[in-house]
Amino acid sequence: MKREKWVLAFGLAAAVGLGASNLHAASIIDEWASVKAPPAPELKPVTVDPKTTALLMVDFVKPSCNPERGRRCIATLPAVKKLLDEARGKGMMVVYTAYGKNTKNDIVPEVAPDGSEPFVVSFLNKYLGSDLEKILKDKGIQTVITVGTFAHGAVLTTASESAERGFKVIVPVDGISFDNLYAEQYTAWHLANAPVIASKITLTSIDMMKF
Amino acid sequence: MRRNRILWSSIALAATLLAGGTRLSPAQAADIIDEWVNAKAPPPPALKPVTVDPKTTALLMLDFLQANCGHRPSCLAEMPVMKKLLDAARGAGATVIYSGFGNATASDVIKDVAPPANEPLIHSNADKFLNTDLDKMLKDKGIQTVITVGTAANGAILYTAGGAALRGYKVIIPVDGLSADDLYAMQFTVWELVHATPDFVSRVTLTRSDMIKF
Repeated sequence: MKREKWVLAFGLAAAVGLGASNLHAASIIDEWASVKAPPAPELKPVTVDPKTTALLMVDFVKPSCNPERGRRCIATLPAVKKLLDEARGKGMMVVYTAYGKNTKNDIVPEVAPDGSEPFVVSFLNKYLGSDLEKILKDKGIQTVITVGTFAHGAVLTTASESAERGFKVIVPVDGISFDNLYAEQYTAWHLANAPVIASKITLTSIDMMKF
Repeated sequence: MRRNRILWSSIALAATLLAGGTRLSPAQAADIIDEWVNAKAPPPPALKPVTVDPKTTALLMLDFLQANCGHRPSCLAEMPVMKKLLDAARGAGATVIYSGFGNATASDVIKDVAPPANEPLIHSNADKFLNTDLDKMLKDKGIQTVITVGTAANGAILYTAGGAALRGYKVIIPVDGLSADDLYAMQFTVWELVHATPDFVSRVTLTRSDMIKF
């Protein structure tokens, strides 16, 4: 009996040992199909101080915001226009961004910049290779409202970087877009839950913002 | 307020339908909170084997600290394969750089993968290029490729791997070297790093630690 136990134990140990050497560690790829989206984050009302808040208009350029590529971006334009008018009406700073070779003239006409509003060109992280941080800090900006397209790219990265650079960040979900619901969904969840940054970010909607 | 919005959307939809509209126009698309349940995960991306030149490659060991990894089962479970990757990188003479946050020191790193005195430890929050010399350290050593492993997937890995690709480095991401409290966050991070945009994605290789050859 005792000997049988030992044989069994040895056999098990050998099997586990062999198995372990042939198997790789489980990773997210193995668990992919079991991943469930968490519940939608709660949107919160927010009051904006126009003197210390800037509206960042991220990449509302024609190549990304058109009926073929950027259907959901087009859908955000009426609400974003309302936010833009409100911000300008309160004398808030408005900063536009674009990527690549896009210029001010490539911003979609519904939300086009006026002549004096700063415009920075950078890719994904709008602070990288641009004066954005200086532009904001020189004006005493402490809070940025981030709207734009490429939700999971330029918006997620720039909102996160804003938080890491010490700004408070407001992101209205009806001002961000991407023609892939999964990416847009994760972005909303991330901004409300991700480590380090979430405590500095308020996820809201444009009609929940007061000036 | 949201209920009001939904109510108004419903009224608008009814009006559209009554007016003879047969489908929603793009201008009436709902925001992501309304569309939440319609979002579907994409298929998993393919992993690719990769061979690196140890002379121009750095292994970035991001935030494997007791303070976070020590409480994260998905991170602790990776320690055996991370130790193996680390040994392979060191054995081949690749550069190894650690990161931490707060005032973390080498003794705060999980013991299995702790740094010896000669491997640097940099400090920053989530984006390890921000407020550090990381870019300069890499460039001074002629590094062209970084392998990013660590935790959290949707913090240090997402921003630092992304930041490396934006700065022109090739980036290798082993899926068995990233962890977070939520599988959802790990899944997105993996997907995002190979889908962000064509320019960016061309510099990123998604792989597994045992598919990396030095």
